[in-house]
Amino acid sequence: MVEVTVDQLTRIEGHYRIDTQVNEEGVITEAQSMGLMLRGFERFLQHQDPRDAALLTQRICGVCPTSHSLAAAGALDQLFGVEDAVPKDALVVRNIHQGLNTIASNTTHIYVLWGTDLANPAYRDLFGNFGDTGKAVWDELLRRYAPISYRLNGVDIPVGVSYAAAIREKRRLHEAISLMGAKMPHSVLAHVGGVTYGPTLADIGQLASYYWQVMDFVENFALGVSPETWIENTRFASSPQKAVNFVVDRLQELTAASLVSNDFSHAAGWGDVPLLAAFGSELIGEEVLGLPASMKLDRTGGYSNPDTIGYLSYGVFYKPEDGDGYDPTSPPGSRVISSGYMDGNLKLHKFDHRKISESIAHSFYVDSEADRFPWEGVTEPEPEPDEIDYSRGTESRYSWIKAPNYDGMPCELGPLSRMLIMEDPLITGLAQLFRENGYPAINTYIRMLARAQEILVVASELLKWVTVDLDPSGKFAVPTDLSMAKDSEGMGLWEAPRGALGHWVATGPDSRVTLYQAVVPSTWNLAPRNTAGIPGPVEQALLGNRISAAENALGVDYTNPIGIFHTARSFDPCLACAIHTIDLTGKEEERVRVI
Amino acid sequence: MGIENSPDRFKHLDFMKMDRRTFLKAVGALGASLFLQTYRSDVVKALEFAETRIVWIHGGECTGCSESLLNGGEPDVLQAFDRLNIRLEYHELLLGQQGIYVDGEMVNTSELNSEILFEEVVKEEGYILVVEGAIANGPNGTGKYMILGGKTYKDIFRKAAENASLIVAVGQCATNGGVNSADSDIKDLMDFRGVAFTMEDGEKGMLQELGIEKPVININGCPPHPDWMLLTLGAVVLGKIKIPDDLPEVLDQWLRPKVFFPPDSVIHDNCPRRGFYDKGEFDTVVSGEKCLWKLGCKAPYTHADCAIRRWNGYHSLCPQSGSPCISCVSPGFPDSSRPFFQEIEDVGIAGTNIDTVAKVAIGASLLAVGAHAIRRVAVKEAPERKEPEEAPGKEPEEAPGKEPEEAPGKEPEEAPGKETEGAPYKKAGKDEGEDQ
Repeated sequence: MVEVTVDQLTRIEGHYRIDTQVNEEGVITEAQSMGLMLRGFERFLQHQDPRDAALLTQRICGVCPTSHSLAAAGALDQLFGVEDAVPKDALVVRNIHQGLNTIASNTTHIYVLWGTDLANPAYRDLFGNFGDTGKAVWDELLRRYAPISYRLNGVDIPVGVSYAAAIREKRRLHEAISLMGAKMPHSVLAHVGGVTYGPTLADIGQLASYYWQVMDFVENFALGVSPETWIENTRFASSPQKAVNFVVDRLQELTAASLVSNDFSHAAGWGDVPLLAAFGSELIGEEVLGLPASMKLDRTGGYSNPDTIGYLSYGVFYKPEDGDGYDPTSPPGSRVISSGYMDGNLKLHKFDHRKISESIAHSFYVDSEADRFPWEGVTEPEPEPDEIDYSRGTESRYSWIKAPNYDGMPCELGPLSRMLIMEDPLITGLAQLFRENGYPAINTYIRMLARAQEILVVASELLKWVTVDLDPSGKFAVPTDLSMAKDSEGMGLWEAPRGALGHWVATGPDSRVTLYQAVVPSTWNLAPRNTAGIPGPVEQALLGNRISAAENALGVDYTNPIGIFHTARSFDPCLACAIHTIDLTGKEEERVRVI
Repeated sequence: MGIENSPDRFKHLDFMKMDRRTFLKAVGALGASLFLQTYRSDVVKALEFAETRIVWIHGGECTGCSESLLNGGEPDVLQAFDRLNIRLEYHELLLGQQGIYVDGEMVNTSELNSEILFEEVVKEEGYILVVEGAIANGPNGTGKYMILGGKTYKDIFRKAAENASLIVAVGQCATNGGVNSADSDIKDLMDFRGVAFTMEDGEKGMLQELGIEKPVININGCPPHPDWMLLTLGAVVLGKIKIPDDLPEVLDQWLRPKVFFPPDSVIHDNCPRRGFYDKGEFDTVVSGEKCLWKLGCKAPYTHADCAIRRWNGYHSLCPQSGSPCISCVSPGFPDSSRPFFQEIEDVGIAGTNIDTVAKVAIGASLLAVGAHAIRRVAVKEAPERKEPEEAPGKEPEEAPGKEPEEAPGKEPEEAPGKETEGAPYKKAGKDEGEDQ
């Protein structure tokens, strides 16, 4: 048995370590997910004006500040009792704000944070065994995804064209966000009762212009076909089977031409999504398309036991057709991307926010209770230096991350869960395809394709919000007064790019904050064991994986455990969010739960 | 932007021959992208200079500063680095490498292993160290609240700082502790530090804690504007700011470049909603278009060029989007800015170290606007504070509270230490030096 540790796992937000035990066959038999940092953000809203929360809590994360500010605004709407009255146009602006952030964040993740691993030298060695075709594929991967300051065998590699293009696109999307939100990261805009800014006709025109520029990137870099064609044949396909067929047919055309020409470039139609869709999967790439080799990402990153995992979405994006106001409990179907809980066998259940709890049984916190509901949350970091010891194994405490559960079950959150719960035909169809062919229905490959697919799903809604739903002469906020927040409580359920995000706030008779809790997506995904000893989602997804490239196709290389990189990064870890330091509830003796 | 600052004014000038003052005016007037375009040929000449190595480390932070950096440059930050001949040697968010250990031993090479890479790059002196995020000192000075690759971040910072020729702290967390150091009952336990300051305390920076003396430039902001970061790096790379000789002149007492954080002007001066202020028309509900003073705007005492430079594509700033400025570039942020949405009249400008200029500016503006402004603007005195000795930018004549007519104690009702007594909004960082 060999101990393989990745510390730190870079190209994520924050400081994160993964410990694994790997056997002689190169299979992971034990995995530990460890958040290595405590952030000092906590407990400073006590006795403070709750309205500050929308601007302050977004400083938890510079990648998805938008989501935190909107989750906070949701919690404040209910706290002030105005959730029924938030004007429709304010809700549309919130949708646009979040939609742009989701597209920017997903793009950054796919290209800059995750995609860089496709330029790992292991793939040079793998594809190098397959003649001119293999070499052409490797050259293409390196040309597209090489990161900044990259060297191979002492040779400087130019920055990848897709990597660089994605950075430009993220910047463009941040400019679009700033049209209404002033700046990005840490925009303004989200506010109790609505938004701070009513866009003008000129803003709408400019937003549409940005939209089409981003769609140029989607067409020319990501898809190789027009976004309209893609969405019509996947998102709006008449069946999951038809959606999968559309993609596979397209890949077959490309493959037929390129296996002759050895041209796998963007110009030849190989967008980044088709390239990953073909060469990422053993089933689709090798079995269906007849490619000589693949990365076999469909064999890795799944869950071996369906009884210890679930998939969760709180729901996101208000429905403009419902007019003013919204239901803060996010009942099924009330949001554009619906709330829902899917069990490990992919059976859908109704979402109930009262089933959310957090465990600290294996985290470096001090509390008399191992499990608490968000309303009762406590965050007391371990004060003894000697107690902060990462080497005591899975029976002990080993992370700063708590372990959130839904009805006692660890859950994967993020684009994959959302696409499954909203029953997107392409992602649902792929899961069925894999299952029917003896592959894990959930795997690293489908997790990444779901993130790409979500960009298209959100983009198609975004255009409608901007050009149809948004009325610049509408209302953008209802007046609020601090006295409205007296002895109250509020819950903001939302979806950040990385998954379900909830903020909970309560106030006392002076309208000052008595409790603030945020339960954050990466906390779920990167969780350590829970009170029952069930490993967190990333831990489970690593178990049984082979650590080297393409299922150890070239043998076991403990020194380049790319299997760990791909799977752990596919969850888009964000440690700043995950480390639970946003219990902004202030001093212990004053913590009073007000109901 | 008047003719004085128009790009044309600089076009005929030979950039490389510009003296520092003109150069700083140029970068102040032009955005980073415009600057790099206008002077492209000159910057190409600059490539004759040696490659500049940058090591960028991340502590307790949200990565917003890196996100902001990625929004800079023209057409992108990668090309800006290219033109400035900057090699980003280490940056956890962007590099291909990661830390890899087998049975506890570092394996592979620096081409794949970031831990080996880090050791290699900090071994060789002469790089610019960019620090993003606060540095955990707790619990009990061990730094164990933040551990990377088996080492405390405090240790990593020390190692990286020792061989750096210049430290550039980016964002509030690195410059002053930021949200990490906000007041709470576990603040002391966690003990997050900025590089040269912790909140307004110039003796509690991590450098002082470790006994390391290095030139420091602070690029404040939550996050900082990408121009502030790129142009500062550019000015240093091109030798327009000599390190450390020029620092006392180009930095303010918080070590911020004066060109971006002008001591003699505030955001309010150039706010797009300024006209409403002058007319005495104020919004009291968000999503309007008038002045945000009554909604708690801090622009009248915030020294930054946001209103001229503007953000993300150079088109907006917070008050333009209907949200009060929360003064995220001030050393005491966020404590000195809260509550965000309450009129300053009600709570007093209790942020510490509001310098004289801002006070005068607010006072003058209020006099000018007439009847609606006849109100008690309780401009609190900045406490007499001990100037940080390591501050190369120390300019005593600008230090807050130095003017005799404003010395603390002159007005008993505003005596330091009393101003927040019984007030619902306790400000942090106010006690420093007050008892002296």
